[in-house]
Parts: sequence; C-alpha cells; structure tokens
Amino acid sequence: MEKKRFIMNAGRTTRQGQQINVGKDHVEYQAIVNTLTMHPGDMKAVGIQPGDSVRVRSEHGEATFRCVEGKVPQGMIFVPYGPPTCHLMGRYTDGTGMPTSKGWEVEVEPISA
Amino acid sequence: MGGKVTCTLGEVKNRADFIVYWGGNPAECHPRHFTKYTLTQKGRFVPEGRKGRTMVLVDIRETMSSKAADLFLQIRPGKDFEVLTTLRALVKNQQVDERRAAETGLTLAQLQDLVDRMKRARFGVLFFGMGVSMTRGKHMNSAGILALAAELNAFTKFVCMPMRGHGNVTGSDMVMRWTTGFPFGVSLTRGYPRFNPGEFSTVDLLVRGDNDAALILGADPGATMPQPGIDHLARIPTIVLDPKVTHTSRLARVHITTAVTGISAAGTAYRMDEIPLPLRPALSSPYPTDQEVIRRIRQAVAARPSWSPASNARMAIA
Repeated sequence: MEKKRFIMNAGRTTRQGQQINVGKDHVEYQAIVNTLTMHPGDMKAVGIQPGDSVRVRSEHGEATFRCVEGKVPQGMIFVPYGPPTCHLMGRYTDGTGMPTSKGWEVEVEPISA
Repeated sequence: MGGKVTCTLGEVKNRADFIVYWGGNPAECHPRHFTKYTLTQKGRFVPEGRKGRTMVLVDIRETMSSKAADLFLQIRPGKDFEVLTTLRALVKNQQVDERRAAETGLTLAQLQDLVDRMKRARFGVLFFGMGVSMTRGKHMNSAGILALAAELNAFTKFVCMPMRGHGNVTGSDMVMRWTTGFPFGVSLTRGYPRFNPGEFSTVDLLVRGDNDAALILGADPGATMPQPGIDHLARIPTIVLDPKVTHTSRLARVHITTAVTGISAAGTAYRMDEIPLPLRPALSSPYPTDQEVIRRIRQAVAARPSWSPASNARMAIA
C-alpha cells in the first residue's frame, strides 16, 4: 500500500499530565503516549480502522501506536509526547539546543495482523 | 532581536483587555491560566472580567482552548514565522502581497483585522507556547513574536510571555542567569561560564556523546529526548535524583529517591512570569531533599584528593 506522508504534531494533554503524577509505569500512561489521533478521512485513505496498530516512520526512526479518530486537520496526526515519540524526534538542534519536537514529516502504515 | 517586553501575571489580571495565545493549548496544559490570571478574573482596570477581555488563539489545530477563544486563527503548520513577519509589516503599514499572506493559511484581511484589534487594545499580551518555539524556525519564531510585542508599543501597551511548561523550569533559567549570566547551555569546564547553545546544551551533548557522566535533577530525559541521547545516558554513569521511578531512573546506574519539593520539602519555585514563590511542605517525608543529597555529594567530593597533582600539592602547603 502507498505510504502517505503526514505532519506529526506532538504535544501534551491534561490526562497525560495527571498520569505523570500517578506514575509512568501505569497502564493508563502507557496507553496515552501510545495512542495516535488521526482525521477519519486520512484513516480511510491509508486503510486504518479505529483501534488498529500503526507503524509511524520518520527520517530518524520508527515507533508503533494505536490509532484513533479525532478532531485534527487532514494531513496531520497528534500524539502526546512520550517514549515512542523519542524514536521519531529529530536529533539535531540547529544550534539552538532544542530538537525539532513538532511538525516533522512521517509515514503512517497499518500493521497487518 | 533581543530583549523581552514583559510584565507579571498580576498585571495581566488587572490590566489586560486583549490576550493572544499562540502555539499553545492552555486549557489542557496550563489549566489554571484562564481562571487565575488571563480571562475570567475581574481586574482593577478590567472590572467586567471575561466580558472586558478579548481572547485570540493562533494555532495549527482546534483544541480545547479554541472553545474559550473569541477568535480562532488556524494557520498552516510551520508558518508561524511567516505570519509573525507579515503582522510586523502590517503593524508598520507596509505593503503585503495578498497571495503570499494566503500561504500562511490566513487571508490578508484576517491578518489586518488582528493588527487593527491589537493596535486598539489598551493593554495587550502575547503568550506563546511550544508550537512557536519547537517548530521550524524555533528561536527565530520566538524572536519574531518578542519583536512584534515590542513594536506594538509604538501604538499601545503590549507585552509578551512564554508559556513555560513543567514545574519550575523558569527557576532553573533564573538561577543559571544570576549565577553565570546565561539561562542554559552553559559550560564551566574552563572555570568560567561559556554559553553556546548547540555546543553545550544538553540534547547536543548527549546526542554527540560528549559527556562521560550525567547527574539528572527533577527531569526525565529518558522519556522526552531524542533516542540517541537516551542511548548515551544508558551507556555512561548516570545518577538520577527523583521522588519517583522514571524512564531515566531505570537506565541510570544510581537512583536516589528524594522528597517531593513543595509537598514534603521546602524551596522556591518560579512562576512563568519569573516571580519567586516560597514552597511550604505540607507533609513530612522519609527521604532527603534534593538539596540535602547534593550538599552531601559535594561534601564527599571535596573530601577526596583532587585529580590534579598540582592542586594537591597546593592543598598540602596550605
């Protein structure tokens, strides 16, 4: 299947902040940082059903997520920061000290069962 | 470029009638910001509270914060610098090509409307989040928004403030600034401070593998940094001081459990407007504070002979 490119927008959520204070080993925290939100139209185009596992690949690495439908613009995916996004993040800071943590291009593909 | 026209959150609460959030989602990430300082509070010169204030949100996607906004401006990802530069041009009544403006995801009319509103404000504030500072353009985006706020002061009172995340990151910047003159990315290896982001900043040091040991205080880089940096932390002797087991503590050689500052340890935390707030512990803890652990480590290091024979000879003479 053709691999579509998306803009990956990583961020934070209130639930994630609450779970950090409970503990990062908890199942709920793990579920939050391993869940990717995508526009329903994009999911259809790539052939992903809600709840499916997907592989996300950037130029720096890859990680797997559970994909859910959500209110994000078409062509964009949202993921809360966490260990999986560390694999995808840019490693160079362009002399600023800050790696590019948002807005990098990724490929998303379903992981066939 | 340089300088920040800013104020305290108390001034925002009492004076601001026009508030712009840019590249941030305070409804989720700073949930008390609206209610304590910026939107719903009645201020001395904003007696009507929410009705007396206008809130604009600039972001690349609809969030919970956009529901609280009077005006939501959705821009294209990675176009913050272009939008800021266009606004700065419009503030100075310079010509802007309509087609170029449209590349940002907003029309020229929308951008002109925002400029007109900003100029009409009595006291305006620009709050900017990681959507500005962590996307393409990074520090140039931040410089652009700081310059926009400064330039608006030719027309009205306007200030700017970054939406700092996590507990007391501002405190770390402040202490580094008054002790070394620089906020981060400081090297003391020559015995005096040198500042060079990209060379001495944490991510760069770790990704290049320049350091051969690490002491981590109140942070979890094992869950937030680029993977090559995390892999390097696992290779070298890493010591973590943290109340909880974290991704970093799992890869560290030593994890010292410490008391939670503000809950069972006293201290000072800096609010995002750089106001220091004393923390009074409500509970006691069986664990030492970060300060106590560092003090004891320093004491133990000072008691050991130096790695330099010349230094030891001087000590012996003294």
